[in-house]
Amino acid sequence: MMAPGTEFGEGDRDYRLTSPAKSSKKPPPETSESIRVRGLVIVSFWAVVIFLGLPVWLWTTSIHRARLPLQEMLDWADGKACKPTFPLQIAIEAPFLQDAEARHLMRMTQHALDDLNEFSAHHLRLRLAKSLSSPSGRNASIPESQDLEIGQVFQSYEDLDVRDDSALTVRLRAQDSIQAARSELQSHSTILDVAYAPNQTPSVSSSSSALATFIANRLQELFAEEQAIIAYILGQSAAGIQSTLHSPYVSPATAPGSREVRSRPNRLINPEMAARLASRMTRSLKYAPTYHITMSLFTPSASPSSWQIESALAEYLTPLLDSISAVSNFTVDTQVQFHATFSPSVHAPEHDADHGVWTLQEEDLSGFINAAEWPLSPSIGAGPTLNFVLYVPDQTTSPLVVKGTQASSWLIPHWGGVVILNPQDASTTSVGSTLSKEAIRPALLTFSHQLLSFLGAPQTLPSLPLQLQTLTRIRAASLLLSASSTMGSLARLTVALPSIAIPETVSTAVDATLSHLRYTCNALKEGKFTEALENARIAEAEAERGFFEKSMVGQVYFPDEHKVAVYLPLLGPVGVPLIMSALKELKRMWASRKAQRT
Amino acid sequence: MMVIDRRKALLFGSATALRLLLFFAFPSLPDLLTGRVEISTPVTSFKRLQEGLFLYTHNVSPYDGGVFHQAPLLLSLFALIPSSLFSPLTSLLYIALDLLCTNALIQIAESREAGSSRLFTSPRKELKWDSIAIGAAYLFNPFTIATCIGRPISVFTNCAILHAIAKAVSGKPMSSILALGLASYLSLYPILLLPPLILLCYDRQARDKKETPPISTFAIKYTSLFFATKVWFLYISNILTGGSWEFISSTYSVQLLLPDLTPNMGLWWYFFIEIFDSFREFFLGIFWLHLGGYVGGLCIRIRRQPLFIITTLLGIFAIFKPYPSLSDTSLYFAMLPLYRHLFPLMRYTFFALATILYATLLGPAFYYLWIYAGSGNANFFYAITLVWSLGLSEIVADSLFAVLRDEWEVERPEMKGKDVRQI
Repeated sequence: MMAPGTEFGEGDRDYRLTSPAKSSKKPPPETSESIRVRGLVIVSFWAVVIFLGLPVWLWTTSIHRARLPLQEMLDWADGKACKPTFPLQIAIEAPFLQDAEARHLMRMTQHALDDLNEFSAHHLRLRLAKSLSSPSGRNASIPESQDLEIGQVFQSYEDLDVRDDSALTVRLRAQDSIQAARSELQSHSTILDVAYAPNQTPSVSSSSSALATFIANRLQELFAEEQAIIAYILGQSAAGIQSTLHSPYVSPATAPGSREVRSRPNRLINPEMAARLASRMTRSLKYAPTYHITMSLFTPSASPSSWQIESALAEYLTPLLDSISAVSNFTVDTQVQFHATFSPSVHAPEHDADHGVWTLQEEDLSGFINAAEWPLSPSIGAGPTLNFVLYVPDQTTSPLVVKGTQASSWLIPHWGGVVILNPQDASTTSVGSTLSKEAIRPALLTFSHQLLSFLGAPQTLPSLPLQLQTLTRIRAASLLLSASSTMGSLARLTVALPSIAIPETVSTAVDATLSHLRYTCNALKEGKFTEALENARIAEAEAERGFFEKSMVGQVYFPDEHKVAVYLPLLGPVGVPLIMSALKELKRMWASRKAQRT
Repeated sequence: MMVIDRRKALLFGSATALRLLLFFAFPSLPDLLTGRVEISTPVTSFKRLQEGLFLYTHNVSPYDGGVFHQAPLLLSLFALIPSSLFSPLTSLLYIALDLLCTNALIQIAESREAGSSRLFTSPRKELKWDSIAIGAAYLFNPFTIATCIGRPISVFTNCAILHAIAKAVSGKPMSSILALGLASYLSLYPILLLPPLILLCYDRQARDKKETPPISTFAIKYTSLFFATKVWFLYISNILTGGSWEFISSTYSVQLLLPDLTPNMGLWWYFFIEIFDSFREFFLGIFWLHLGGYVGGLCIRIRRQPLFIITTLLGIFAIFKPYPSLSDTSLYFAMLPLYRHLFPLMRYTFFALATILYATLLGPAFYYLWIYAGSGNANFFYAITLVWSLGLSEIVADSLFAVLRDEWEVERPEMKGKDVRQI
């Protein structure tokens, strides 16, 4: 477009300096009116640029960074905001003792426990249970463990949970027939029955008691593995803090706090235990809020042709999954595959005449799953997939066990488990047969053990409710630490990359995470472990959501030179006439002012 | 009782006959032209109006589908047409609109504003065309006929703009501002015509009434009237769409934020397809500022001929608008013959006309090659669009040069007929 404010002159001015005869006329001077108009036009264009263009540029190209509570996030990541403690309540039921004696026994046992305990974050607190009438009118002798159906077990477990929120109940009984104290933990309840000899009855005056020491040792044994795992988890996070101490983004003020956290767990775990725990931890699955379980039936022939898996699942596995639902959710799928042959690399089963079984070599176990031909899709549902394979061998090669250990089931870390179901009678392998619910039952029980070990539940506790409780606490601890470290990573990322945008969703996710972390910490301190786990799960989900926000990374790799390529093609040609005319105008104004002064 | 000029009646009759012939003797022609990208843009397409009308008459919000981006008043207007006679009656409606536009144009020509405004009288003002001839140039322009057959909504905007100008030169500023309010309600860009229109109204009123009130009070009064008109139209639309304000985001924010990048004759779509997301809003702002930046400069420099400011701005809009089409070009070509006295002063007439002709003929061919034959790509079509914009810019720049030279020759009458150069 034309430059505004023009002036016209003669067609050829080139002769001005050459020939005096043809001296061209200089154009008459401009009127002041036209000079003023020209100046106004230039000003009007520049006014649009400065008063409208500049704000538009600033407003539209500024990167929106929401405010994040960086210091709080770093505090959480360094472990300064919360010292997780795990106070467990142990209730002591002693209906046959006097109140004063019972209290005295409790105090002595507590002293003994405190002496034994080296890890102060995880401690046991004893209290006397309110005197409840014992259910079903038991006598003083130890009741025999009953082989209850799993459904009934969890019914009674829930009742216990509702009645008192202790982790464990110790029931004391005097028994005449024994010399020293004995204890027994029922496999389906959280009750530890302790029987003591009559001469061990504590009296109020004695300062020490063999019974108290015995109870303290037993309790410490029961929770030792859990303490070790929690100490290991906390130690892992402290080690992580230590590695970030040397990075430039963490202030030196965090050094003393983390040193303190670091020293305590190291005293507790000796190296072999640490190594064992480390290998156990890597074998167990990474936490996910939902897991998908695939139950598969593989058979090398065409029989059994179906299985009553749905009713078997509903009766044997679903109650377990429901009770673990506080930790993670599970979805289950099933499939059947016929004519599932081994891969060529696996040796055919050999007949072991000594035991009358067919054996598989141990080296072949890893190749047992013929991944090439067996349809085990790695990811169907939401979350990681666990595959549980039930293999019914051919009648000619049954019973099939692993050589050496004679085991018929094994775990494959991070993948699932395999159970070889050797048919008890010929009917299961006849053509067109159906695998009955009762036949599947032992396999499902094995699977549930495998599932619990996948989730990281300690194996030494014989009681299932105790395992679940331990799992709850361990998960709460690990989720708390994982969410806190995500917060720390996000804070460091925000500081390190000033060019990325922080949308509001990240800010809300961070606020939600921090508030749920606080709830978790408080719930842990008060001993409300299921509530702590719930809050920890929400905190972890929110932290992941905030950290992996997709819109944050749009501008990261945008070098500044590219900005030139973006702005110049349009603004260059538009800007050149504006700048040239402004310069000309300024020169003229300067010249006229100088002329005025002289 | 209105005396109808015989020549005017002849003109109108023949134009109507031509259009009726094209509408009814070639039944597939209207749909063909409605589908052409040079005539229908996402904000003016007749097909989208039909879609919105269907939704509106069936009690669904017409803006739900994200297809309809036009003002609600049009919906209520078209809803009055019975659907059984929809096609013939809309044809008659558009023919009537064309005649109304021509009427306004003839009024503007007869006022002789182009030759001599209040502050300036051109030395060449006798060189002019008859007002009927100017009307004929508009009615028989192939662009105008194609626009009429293709039935885009921009015809309503053009009609409103022309009436605003006609009322301004007749000394009725109130109606003029009302008409401009309607125009900017239907599309957004006529807002930028407000300053020159106020200048035009002021000049005309000062000339007729021989009094010169201070221009600032005049400007403030009519600016507030303009905004009151807009508010009134928005309020009516709110009532028409059942009390919701969502039509604002569907109609005006489409022009501002350009979510629909259907290819058209303009320069915006190609650029905004490839711009980075983080710079998109910045460049939208820059493009709109570019369009609006010319208003101030032109108003200051050519203050003495407000009608020419409006004409040039219409030309600039036809090039740099977000969704331009042939109707904007036909509007500019309607106003340009008013300045017949400038044509001898223009330097590149042949070049510009040849460029326009070239682009008109090759444009549909390249579009066909790109979209239907698949042997070309978007660059073909965009290149022809650039050539077309180049041709139009040449005409705008040349006419600007001509009017400046015309003004200069009043001061230097000895330069008449001589070759001059800008320095």
